[in-house]
Amino acid sequence: MLMLLEQVLNGLQYSALLFLLSAGLTLVFGIMNVINLTHGSFYMVGAFCAAAAAAKTGSFLAAILAALVGAGLYGLVVELLVIRHLYRREHLDQVLATLGLALFTNALVTVLFGRSPPMMSTPAILAGSVQVLPGLAYPVMRLALIGAGVLVAVGLWWLISRTRVGMLVRAGADDGEMVDALGIDIQRLFTLVFALGAVLCGFAGVMAAPLLAVEIGMGERILITTFVVIVVGGVGSVRGALVGSLLIGMTDALGRAFIPSLTSMMLPPQLSDPLSSSLVSASIYILMAIVLLFKPRGLVPARH
Amino acid sequence: MSRKLLVNAIGLLLFALVPAIAAATGKSFLVSLCTQFAIYALAAVSLDLIMGYGAMVSFGHAAFFALGGYTVGIIGFHMGQGDTILGWAGSSSALVVWPLAVAVSALAGLAIGFLSLRTTGVQFIMITLAFGQMLYFILVGLVIYGGDDGLPIDARNTLPDINLGSPTTFYYTCLALMALWIGLCRRIVHSPFGMALRGIKQNVRRSVGLGYAPLRYRLTAFAISAAGAGLAGALWANYALFVSPDMASWQKSGELMAMVILGGLGSIFGPVAGVAVYLGLEQAATAFTEHWMLILGPVLVLVVLFGKRGIYGWLTGSKHHD
Amino acid sequence: MTENAKLDIRDLRKSFGAVNATQGASLVVRPGELHALIGPNGAGKTTLLSQISGEILPDSGSIALDGRDITRMPAHHRPATGLARSFQISQVYPEFTVEDNVAMAVQAHTPGGFNLWRNARRDMRLREPARQALRRVGLGHRLDERVANLAHGEKRQLELAMALCMDASLLLLDEPMAGLGAEESLRMADLLRELKGQYAILLVEHDMDIVFSLADRVTVLVYGKTLFTGTPDEVRAHPEVRAAYLGEESPSVAGQPQDGCAPSGGSKPAGRSVGGNQ
Repeated sequence: MLMLLEQVLNGLQYSALLFLLSAGLTLVFGIMNVINLTHGSFYMVGAFCAAAAAAKTGSFLAAILAALVGAGLYGLVVELLVIRHLYRREHLDQVLATLGLALFTNALVTVLFGRSPPMMSTPAILAGSVQVLPGLAYPVMRLALIGAGVLVAVGLWWLISRTRVGMLVRAGADDGEMVDALGIDIQRLFTLVFALGAVLCGFAGVMAAPLLAVEIGMGERILITTFVVIVVGGVGSVRGALVGSLLIGMTDALGRAFIPSLTSMMLPPQLSDPLSSSLVSASIYILMAIVLLFKPRGLVPARH
Repeated sequence: MSRKLLVNAIGLLLFALVPAIAAATGKSFLVSLCTQFAIYALAAVSLDLIMGYGAMVSFGHAAFFALGGYTVGIIGFHMGQGDTILGWAGSSSALVVWPLAVAVSALAGLAIGFLSLRTTGVQFIMITLAFGQMLYFILVGLVIYGGDDGLPIDARNTLPDINLGSPTTFYYTCLALMALWIGLCRRIVHSPFGMALRGIKQNVRRSVGLGYAPLRYRLTAFAISAAGAGLAGALWANYALFVSPDMASWQKSGELMAMVILGGLGSIFGPVAGVAVYLGLEQAATAFTEHWMLILGPVLVLVVLFGKRGIYGWLTGSKHHD
Repeated sequence: MTENAKLDIRDLRKSFGAVNATQGASLVVRPGELHALIGPNGAGKTTLLSQISGEILPDSGSIALDGRDITRMPAHHRPATGLARSFQISQVYPEFTVEDNVAMAVQAHTPGGFNLWRNARRDMRLREPARQALRRVGLGHRLDERVANLAHGEKRQLELAMALCMDASLLLLDEPMAGLGAEESLRMADLLRELKGQYAILLVEHDMDIVFSLADRVTVLVYGKTLFTGTPDEVRAHPEVRAAYLGEESPSVAGQPQDGCAPSGGSKPAGRSVGGNQ
């Protein structure tokens, strides 16, 4: 029972990370109709900046600041130079251009930060574990990540449904030309949304850095999962990102925990081991394929 | 048309002369590099069939490349063990193994295509990516065939009277197969089937209104494209004498897509030029720095933003394709 | 009366959420007749055509072609039953030439269309009928032009040529005159007059002159419901139709500026409409 709860918490933690990444990605895709493969790179840039700042100053606050500023600034530059030329292009063009950018970013980060990946240790205030339930101690850092996810979800909800900017974002998603005709600078709106997405990635990077390995290629790995999340949840809707993150995060964590024992019950070890490891890794893709076959637009698509 | 013909002829001539050039200049790696080129060109042209002519962006096409390669690898593995494969003793003849690799890939293409083509747009991109990733993880999980470490292959497949062990002979074989496949794709593109496929790409509403069933055409093109990628994979397995799950990775799919667009989408010879540019850039850039993506990344971005016709379109001065 | 009907539509209904696009449409097109479908903007004419061609499936009601129920038949199967449609906004293949476009229409019903080897552009079985149809509609001099370069009016002609090459017995024409100049319109009208008798035609048009001079019978559609069907004279005289659509003024209203608003007493219908919802 406690084991199950621990796995659930693991799932929630992964879901939180995925939500931080997918919220920005779904907004960019939903509002600007741009597939952005550089999204993972912002996450990586955030993590690297955070690790470097933490190593230099020892302060977690500095690390957060570095991550947000680093990722946000880089996102801004990318938008100004490349993304704004892709708004009217086909998806294939967007995929390839942003892929080129992502590969470039990998090389750039390698050059700037060196080959040996920086480590970021858990900051003191978030170190250690806490007794979630009698008998179940769970690391504070992971709980903090879950908390960060909840915070961002609430913040985004407030931003989108309660502020003027959020209203413009929703309007822009529905009818960009109309917003344009009303005299509102749609370009500025897009840049804002894009930068917001990048900043969220940076935040994800600094929160994940103490927990996961900070290395080149960390962006791409989670980027694919992030795309799976928004496709399953429904492109363009933050609610869809939430639903998708929870579904994917829990499937991955619970699958990781329980598939091996399930397969070993049914098959001899030399068959069950490779099968279970393949199933575990492939589980979220199988889920996505099933969802797409019945609900091609995702579970909670934005009205378009 | 004649400028196109000239460019193609010169290109083919140059490639036919590579072994001679290599021997003369003592740069034997040229033959190896050009063998890679021929194999990738075969794969890229296959991908262009569906991307450029069918408007299907398959982000998991490397899966078929891997299937072709692993067909060769697995057959070789079991023969080396003295095993049988489902009762069959196996074969080392290219005339058996290579068509088998093509068939396996084509069948997989039919299955994956049938499921994926229920979606369009970004969902299609993602679901093909998903299938590619699934295969990747299956291959990683198949520890018996090396898993993550990959599977070495003892020897190349054999052809009667032709020594595929010799780099030059193998190169010419790959070049010939590439040329044959390109010729075949060219015929397909100009055939009634090809016109229908291109029509569906330009205006699906009109095609349906005329009575065309889009799925039939797209699925057939997808399967043919998969078959070509499978053949390329089988050739790669013979070239490198090694296969690994990376052959199915999304990075490999991205590489193939980049090669196609560098050369120019929707022209049969374009991807060939694209592969040449890609491999050439890799060679040139790695001479300067190990971070060759610092150069290729921006090049790719620039080509996408400004050079829609690609290198081939620029060379031949054509604004639109066949 | 409906035993030898070409097209028999009974009580068709279709809603999109809260929008009731089609609320009980019934009409019959007889073999060889030119049947006009008129109605104010927003009446649901194009939606009705889309249900006949299969792009939209109705919620209830039935559509029969030559007595055969095609209500739920997939759209790409309908051309084989003899149905050809032209669109309100020309749907053509912009990258292909004019002749290519019409050859595609021929190919769709020619055996051996799934061939992967022959050169399609040199197949006379496909090219010759295409050329004939193009000459008939007046595009014989533009065979090799890339369609993206065509003028708007030429694209309308192209669509008609495609419809003629489809081995059809019923033509669904959605505002074929829209955007045409005076001379082109006359030529199109002459062509339609020729086609009467050869084909059954369901014609959606806003130009009342054309409608009343060409049509054998006219159906009036208002708010997705068929109000009345009769000869042009009967329609002109019908009080409800006059109130709902034609207004109380004279029946010849070609050339009047488009109003574009919902129908109400006294509003004048469009002379020409270029696009706009129906």
